[in-house]
Amino acid sequence: MPVDSKRICGPEITKNPYNFLINGNEKGELIINGKRRDGRKPDQARPLFLRPGLISQAKGSAYIEQNHTKVICAVYGPREVIRKEDFSMKGQITCEFKFATFSCKKKRGHQQDSEEKDYSVQLLEALEPAVQLDKFPKSQVNLYLTVLQNDGSALAASITCASLALAHAGIEMFDLVVGSSVRIHGNEILVDPCEEEEFHSNTNIGVDEGGVVLGLMPSINQISALTSKGELNFDTTSQAVKTCIQNCQKVYPVLQNCLVNSLKEKD
Amino acid sequence: MATSTICVPGQRILRTDDDHISGNGTYTRNGYIYSTLVGYVFTQTNDDGKTIVEVRSSKTQNVVPSEDDIVTARVTNVNARFCKCSILSIGKTKLQEPFRGTLRKEDVRATEKDKVEMYKCFRPGDIIAAQVLSLGDAQSYLLSTSENELGVVIATSETGGTMVPISWCKMQCTKTLSEEFRKVAKVQPQFIEYSS
Repeated sequence: MPVDSKRICGPEITKNPYNFLINGNEKGELIINGKRRDGRKPDQARPLFLRPGLISQAKGSAYIEQNHTKVICAVYGPREVIRKEDFSMKGQITCEFKFATFSCKKKRGHQQDSEEKDYSVQLLEALEPAVQLDKFPKSQVNLYLTVLQNDGSALAASITCASLALAHAGIEMFDLVVGSSVRIHGNEILVDPCEEEEFHSNTNIGVDEGGVVLGLMPSINQISALTSKGELNFDTTSQAVKTCIQNCQKVYPVLQNCLVNSLKEKD
Repeated sequence: MATSTICVPGQRILRTDDDHISGNGTYTRNGYIYSTLVGYVFTQTNDDGKTIVEVRSSKTQNVVPSEDDIVTARVTNVNARFCKCSILSIGKTKLQEPFRGTLRKEDVRATEKDKVEMYKCFRPGDIIAAQVLSLGDAQSYLLSTSENELGVVIATSETGGTMVPISWCKMQCTKTLSEEFRKVAKVQPQFIEYSS
């Protein structure tokens, strides 16, 4: 949507409220007395809530909630490819990732910005290896992800949510994909970081400061997506990947249970 | 035979051996059969005495047209060389969203192909039974009606009345009794299903 040029701006002496908010939050230690700011241990993930099938008009859908991180995903298709593209015997997946305008501390635009486009591509890369694309030649499956509230680890939550929605839509898959993210802070690895713990490239500078996001197909034990931010040593990265895999393995039974229960409820 | 076992994608069902074959909704990897869907596990014995393992989901199956499928389509556009249709259902499965199909002049009937006149075979709005010849190009699927059982099933006359077939190439309006040309399908009674 275009910017509303007729909107009345505030007086010239007004100060941006974000200046006060963001600076206040990013200062201070992440770990005090072995505990994180929200009282969690470094290796403790947030409680997880999953529910497939909320959006009635979509073929499949899912909702994930990790405290204040809330993501909803809708799957449509397999449907015809509308745009003229090359003939392909494989199916296609499209993915649209969007932060809702009200989801973050700072207001998001209506159009996808570069960060959201980047996340869309990463999501697509995480999910594509898991889907049996040869089952729907010449057609495409559309995924729409909306972050309703962002409190960190939105990409990891989205990966989990999207694979749940795909399974709910009855798209044939080799395996589910589970997402997990960690924040690396010196020697510490913080599992499932929230917004104030997440790595920001403009404020957290130094060696071994960064974040890793990983997508795992637990049953066939393959990593489908891996991204890291910040300046990390090899040892730290490999340790972070191991922690992520462990975390994914913990979440996997929850996903399985959730799908089994949703099928039982229907009958 | 149905079991009450529920599977999720990526779940290992059992080891493949000479007696077990992976069926719909499953795949084989490293000697094991895995599920690809959320659903119940079914086992069936085929003629060779082997057991086929299947996973069936309660959702309506995801279908896309594939070669040799019999489809039901609505004619949307007719010209001298081909007609365009939108595929409404594949076999017995109704599609949620239509796929585009093209029926070329030479695929209308099997005999006297060069004498086919498209305007005497189809009209926009006709419901036809057709077979998928190939996946076609990027835009549409290629259809064929070159069999007696395939062609126009339901049509309305120019005045809007329903028409009944009177020969393999003619239909008659039930109201005005006017005759119009169509490539009429000889619909097989065993394929007709009446919705309640």
